[in-house]
Amino acid sequence: MRRKNQDNKVAYAFILPWIIGFLCFTLFPIIFMVQQSLTNRKLNGVSKFIGLTNYKNMFRSSVFWNSLRVTIFFTIVMVVVTTIWAIIMALLLNSKQRFNGIFQFCYFLPSVVPTVALAYAFRTIFGKNAGLLNNILSMFAGRNIEVNWLYQQNTIYFVVFFITLFTYSTGQMMLIFRSGLSDVPKELYEASNLDGATFIQKFFHITLPMISPLILFNAVSGCVSALNGSFALLYPLTSENGDPNGSTQVLSLLIYKEAFSNMKVGYACALSVILFLVAAVFGGLIFAISKKTVYYED
Amino acid sequence: MKKVVSFLLAAVMMTGTLAGCGESQPSSSPQAAGSAAASTQASQDVSGQSITITTWNEPSKDDALNMYKQAEKATGVKVNVTVIPESDYSSKLGQMVSTKDASSDIMVVWENDLKNFAEAKGILPLDSYLKKSTIKTSDFIPAVSKLSGGMGATYGLPWCAATEILYYNKDMFKAAGIPLPTNNWKYEDFKAAAKKLTKNGVYGCALPNTQTWWAGIGGAGDKIYDPSNGQMVIGSGAVSFVKDCKEMVDAKVMPAPSSDTTDLFAAGKAAMAWQGSWNVGTYADKLSFNWDIASLPTNKVKYNTLHTGFYTINANSKKQTAAWKVIEYLMGEEGQTINSKASGNPSALKTIAAKGAWKVASAKKVTNWDAITDSLNSGIFGYTCLPSGVTNNAVSKFNSALLGQTTPEEAVKRASDYAAETIGY
Repeated sequence: MRRKNQDNKVAYAFILPWIIGFLCFTLFPIIFMVQQSLTNRKLNGVSKFIGLTNYKNMFRSSVFWNSLRVTIFFTIVMVVVTTIWAIIMALLLNSKQRFNGIFQFCYFLPSVVPTVALAYAFRTIFGKNAGLLNNILSMFAGRNIEVNWLYQQNTIYFVVFFITLFTYSTGQMMLIFRSGLSDVPKELYEASNLDGATFIQKFFHITLPMISPLILFNAVSGCVSALNGSFALLYPLTSENGDPNGSTQVLSLLIYKEAFSNMKVGYACALSVILFLVAAVFGGLIFAISKKTVYYED
Repeated sequence: MKKVVSFLLAAVMMTGTLAGCGESQPSSSPQAAGSAAASTQASQDVSGQSITITTWNEPSKDDALNMYKQAEKATGVKVNVTVIPESDYSSKLGQMVSTKDASSDIMVVWENDLKNFAEAKGILPLDSYLKKSTIKTSDFIPAVSKLSGGMGATYGLPWCAATEILYYNKDMFKAAGIPLPTNNWKYEDFKAAAKKLTKNGVYGCALPNTQTWWAGIGGAGDKIYDPSNGQMVIGSGAVSFVKDCKEMVDAKVMPAPSSDTTDLFAAGKAAMAWQGSWNVGTYADKLSFNWDIASLPTNKVKYNTLHTGFYTINANSKKQTAAWKVIEYLMGEEGQTINSKASGNPSALKTIAAKGAWKVASAKKVTNWDAITDSLNSGIFGYTCLPSGVTNNAVSKFNSALLGQTTPEEAVKRASDYAAETIGY
């Protein structure tokens, strides 16, 4: 009995660093954020308890509802687009060919570039007058083409989702899928070949079910990345206002704007609570869907 | 062990709750200390002490034009300069005030932050220092006195008074046979000239920037900023100016808003531009064509926004007397003259500004220097007193109207609605 207690103490001692880190850097900030959302705290530190006023004001604000709508749309599309792209890239890299390592290096290279630098580079590419893309298009068309890629509502989403294909999150997904694909038993493909299965049939009936746990993992991490990491991508591209006309103003941009441009820290905390809940709902939904769709080998 | 973990969790929750739920009004002790410092330490020798000034402008690399280096020589106080990029400047200072950071002794504070920081008791009232000083606050341009008067005390002293003016390409005007702009130019003259100057891929005028949008709106008759309640006041003037700009964008007299950051005027692709007076120093002798300046054209009202920053003393500074000594030098004739020569911005002190040190020597193509003094007289502190989130949001909405994504009326309404729900928080 004494030995068992001793073992427990040692085990707790081992996990103590993690518990301290969790308490200080995760639990306390969350509790503090919720508590601050009930105050009118400004960036200069002046603060007074105001109950649920921030939430009442938020639910009356058309800016908030627009931002929530954009956040949900952006998250869903980004997760779908990046996951599909990562699977396609992983499938291509999984096929036997020469220079596979070089291809993998080239595909993954943009992913290790910091997102802010990547966004600024693409901002230059998608510029209206001096942008690289418009110059190339003009060269091929033989006339001056000036598409306002980042300021038109019908082109901005195309640009943003295109850039997400080169972010770290997508590159990481690709590597995870690649390792998952190499673990799919070869016998399954050999058996299906004997049955005359086509590539599409093999993909949907063998590959996809076998890597479905990885799809679940990547969908959850991609979702969190879209909700929290979108700031670093969108701020340099479309500013804190989510240009054009608020089309890209996700909640993380609005939180920054309220806290650091308008000095409304309490209100920004209330928005952060909503973002926290949105992330929780997305996570819950993905897990609920996965119960019916994810295949686990016993 | 469960008890230990439970106790730790409870302690963390209690700490968080107690830390935030209470009304965290900053202590008044630094304030009191500041007043005491002013009265008891004014005669103390501060030479040899070291202070830090926080600003967004890089000091001049030429020591003769570096006012901080000259302040060191004159006061014997070592001046360290911390430069924070303009885009993060206001929020970083806000965080410093919030956390009672004492690493900066002098903070150059923007118009819209001055009241906030005073409310948070993060900066000292300077009246007790001023009583024993040679700085004549009665000599400030009226707009500065008005701004300080609204706060019950003087919390900051303006480092300069920059204005907004019209820059024009003289060569293009002469080639088109259009009379050169004067300080009495009417808005209709400007629009007509812009139309005539538009040809061969050259725009008649660059798009207003985030600053000069407000000069156009103020000129069209809107008040923009109401000091009595701190609200943004825009309406028919804003709608009218946005409509004018949209017409010019549609007619390609002005470029459409885009992510491009090229200065079209400097690149010779726009015949005119409404910009801050500080660009005189930037352009100086660098432009390949003949250019000059004029006051912004007068629409319903002669209007432009004044820009400055205020020297303030951090209430948590341990070297307030030394900080004041340096401020006193920077606000004196020598300090202000060096500043004007380096930045091209006039002093906010009328008698010093009248001596004209702000006429940038290297800007030899400029002849109409009266444009600066004329703009200084008509300038007011307008949009710069509003939170930057509100004004940037409004400009974003105006740009949407120019691109046809919303109507000018809807853009102005949405900008006003957002301002109303944001200001007064």
